[in-house]
Amino acid sequence: MTPASFVRLTALLVLAAFIAMPQVFAFLFEPLIAPGAPAIYNQGSLLVLTLQHLRTVCLATMVSTVLAVALGIFVTRPAGAEFLPLSRSLVNIGQTFPPIAVLAIAVPLVGFGEKPTFIALFLYGLLPIFENTLTGLTQVPSPTLEAARGMGMNARQRLVQVELPLALPVILAGIRLSVIISLGTATIGSTVAAKGLGEVIIAGLQSNNIAFVLQGGLVVALLAVLIHDGLVLVERVAARRLGGSLNEVS
Amino acid sequence: MSSTASRTNTFGVVPPRPALSLDHLGFAIAVLIGVALFAAPFATYRATRIASGEARLLIEALPIAMAAALVLVALGVAIGAVLVRDPLSRLGSAVIGLAVLLPSLGLSAGYLTPADNTFARVSPSLGFWLLSLAFSLLAVDALARMRLGPYGRLTALAVGVSALALLLLSGIWDDLSILREYYTRADSFWREARQHLLLASGSMAAACLLGVPLGIVSHRLRTLRIAVMQGLSIVQTVPSIALFGLLMAPLGAIAASVPLAAALGIKGIGAAPAFIALFLYALLPIVANTIAGLSQVPSAVVDAARGMGMSARQRLVDVEMPLALPVILAGIRIVLVQNFGLATVAALIGGGGFGTFVFQGIGQTAIDLVLLGAIPTVALSFAASIVLDALVDLSKGTPA
Amino acid sequence: MIEIDRLTKRYGATLVVDDVSFAVEEGTLAVVVGTSGAGKSTLLRMINRLVEPSAGRVLIDGEDTRAIPEDELRHRIGYVIQGYGLFPHRNVADNIATVPRLLRWDSKKVAQRVEELLDLFQLEPAEFAHKFPHELSGGQQQRVGVARALAARPALLLMDEPFGALDAVIRSKAQDDLLAIQRRLGTTIVLVTHDMNEAFRLGDRIAVMDQARLLQYATPAELLMRPADDFVERLVGSAERPFRLLSLIRVQEALEPGHAEGEPIAASESLHDALSRLLWTGRKALPVADASGALIGQVSVGGILQRGRPLP
Ligand SMILES: Nc1ncnc2c1ncn2[C@@H]1O[C@H](COP(=O)(O)OP(=O)(O)OP(=O)(O)O)[C@@H](O)[C@H]1O
Ligand SMILES: [Mg+2]
Repeated sequence: MTPASFVRLTALLVLAAFIAMPQVFAFLFEPLIAPGAPAIYNQGSLLVLTLQHLRTVCLATMVSTVLAVALGIFVTRPAGAEFLPLSRSLVNIGQTFPPIAVLAIAVPLVGFGEKPTFIALFLYGLLPIFENTLTGLTQVPSPTLEAARGMGMNARQRLVQVELPLALPVILAGIRLSVIISLGTATIGSTVAAKGLGEVIIAGLQSNNIAFVLQGGLVVALLAVLIHDGLVLVERVAARRLGGSLNEVS
Repeated sequence: MSSTASRTNTFGVVPPRPALSLDHLGFAIAVLIGVALFAAPFATYRATRIASGEARLLIEALPIAMAAALVLVALGVAIGAVLVRDPLSRLGSAVIGLAVLLPSLGLSAGYLTPADNTFARVSPSLGFWLLSLAFSLLAVDALARMRLGPYGRLTALAVGVSALALLLLSGIWDDLSILREYYTRADSFWREARQHLLLASGSMAAACLLGVPLGIVSHRLRTLRIAVMQGLSIVQTVPSIALFGLLMAPLGAIAASVPLAAALGIKGIGAAPAFIALFLYALLPIVANTIAGLSQVPSAVVDAARGMGMSARQRLVDVEMPLALPVILAGIRIVLVQNFGLATVAALIGGGGFGTFVFQGIGQTAIDLVLLGAIPTVALSFAASIVLDALVDLSKGTPA
Repeated sequence: MIEIDRLTKRYGATLVVDDVSFAVEEGTLAVVVGTSGAGKSTLLRMINRLVEPSAGRVLIDGEDTRAIPEDELRHRIGYVIQGYGLFPHRNVADNIATVPRLLRWDSKKVAQRVEELLDLFQLEPAEFAHKFPHELSGGQQQRVGVARALAARPALLLMDEPFGALDAVIRSKAQDDLLAIQRRLGTTIVLVTHDMNEAFRLGDRIAVMDQARLLQYATPAELLMRPADDFVERLVGSAERPFRLLSLIRVQEALEPGHAEGEPIAASESLHDALSRLLWTGRKALPVADASGALIGQVSVGGILQRGRPLP
């Protein structure tokens, strides 16, 4: 086992232990708090919050992925080519919107709770996946495509058997970016009453309890770093077959 | 708006398109315009700031002549979008559409607000948003197809900003609820604006001061490079609010034990953790792009410089850095856009900035207040990205 | 047999292929040569309809290609391009199996065919079947590219500069292998190149193109002895001409009775080879042996020299 994977495994175990049995770690946080204040988040179960957090992110990412990949495929086909320049510009413009703005604007439209968070995650998550799908599909080497056409593959077969598999590592990188952004945005979602780990931090800020803030921050940060690493691993596997040349794409 | 090269996967076997065919994008835009005009309310009227809104259709929201004029212009733009392919004409028609639409929103506000009523609020509704979306899409598409050079894009930005400034200064929009919101808190608006800019650009400047030298050194030292990049990419992965939270504890401890630090304004809550977090986030793109910029300098060029007897310092200053500049600038663009957005979250830990209005607005379910914070943020990031994109192109020596 | 009939391609106002006609006999190899931009690739790609002709038609065994659905046509025609276009995400076996699978052959038949082709191209199945293209050398990639094109037993093989990326030694071997495989399978081949040596070495007939037009379509010997115009003459290379001619003639054809000293040369070798041996060894004549090794006569410098110019 390499030192890096040892560190990761340890981090994962510590995170799991903390989420499952936070009380055991109370002694670590006691020096931070005012006398009499609780050292460990006591307004709900960390485990439940973590699962809710992950559920929101997963659902939103899945919906974004389906739509973004479908759109990416559409604008790279002859039928959708007219939309290609516009869609590139829109992605560039869309990325200048901070996720929090999307979240905030959604609240008055759909009310508090999961819905605005979901909308913000979904909309913002579209961008990196769409952008990477475009990159992946347009960078398929032209001799490869020429050969595919020359062998009598029809448009569908070329897409499914050649273009998508070759674009896969880049698309996966887009999904990873999207997931990481979503983990952060979902945390902010707690300001609009979405269930998630942000609650712990917000509760800490409101009651001036640094221990809560630190716990929430640590759990979210570790979760993000570990998920990021896991997804990088998946990309490596996908890219290895392509000669590792796509490993560096992020 | 920079990357518009239309590389398609076809090999030139697409049959030439007949000159007069339906433009798919134009058709979509025309449908949007149709929906916006006839099936969606143009404005929302609220008796008070937080009362629930009543929708007003276009014919109710404007004097009949104005409404008719707007409908005619919008239909004209729609027909043009479907039939005309020339980007310049499309841009022109989109601009005319916007030039009629934007002032008429202000007129509508004046028309709908009862005289001397300072509580009633009028805000744009779905129809208005769809119309401006349709016109903007048309304009953006036309601009993308025109492939403007850096000066062209800067000019377009300047024209847009001046037009917006004119609209705001002329007072034609003064009856709109978002501007009423602004007038009731003009002082704090500019204070938070200053704070936002300071947070975002200050942390970026600090990151450049440290990041560029760090990038130069890391470019040479492989072990340092790996360590720095891994560390920074972990930081980048941590969600903003979590990082703010993680910084609060140590900063709070410092403030409690080092009186000087507290005197300098370093506290667990407030701008200090926000500034440090933004700084940390900004480091990765700057360091990474400095390294990437330096490593893409052709080794033949560096060899030639060495062959001419330039010292390591001269090579760095006269050869490598100028050649790496476009990539470094691209890193700065990423950072600036990212910082303008992230700085909104700083309000959550008392760091100020436009986020203050956003979070207050969320708390009060006052969308105008949310928009008062969100719109300037988006506008700033948008303008910053256009300006820096242009700078990147210019530093590459692309002809304008 | 494939017939190219008044084939024309226009892009806007520019003619890229201008009224080109020629026919390739069953089982022969036709080479299209010409300068860069002459329209060779476009001509080739009109045969499998990767490019739609503006005018004219292509007949394969008398059947107009426009009557065959595009994809089906391409399943029946092998196609090899410069750079080979191997699928980077599929291993060698899967690359080769592409067209058979498109044609829904059953998997046993596909596996059998892949193995057969790997053997034919001297790629040890156990070693190569599961390698990915980036793990192969250029020469190996080239062989996989040709194997893939031949997988569904096409009667016609189109090759666009198939050896362009190989070094001289490997290229020469690949050319020999291609000839051997063509003789063995009887495939009709149309091959594009801008290398004259390659054209003379491989072609049963050579089509010379310049600026969209076909200047001459003839056997290599005819091209040397009766070039249609100055351009063809220059392309053929006046200085190289006699040597090219000699390499087209077998020793058998210049066989003289008599007996000479030294290492015998095979009757199937070319006069070009015989002449170099004579020059190098400083002799006036060489003994000639037939396929079984029996001496059947001699070949002399004088005899060779007579062949190195156009017949009166
Ligand atoms: N899709 C296309 N649109 C417009 N012009 C084209 C297209 N494809 C090819 N051409 C032009 O047609 C001419 C012939 O091209 P072609 O590829 O057939 O040349 P070639 O003889 O194969 O050259 P080379 O030896 O360089 O491969 C060139 O001038 C090329 O620019
Ligand atoms: Mg060619």
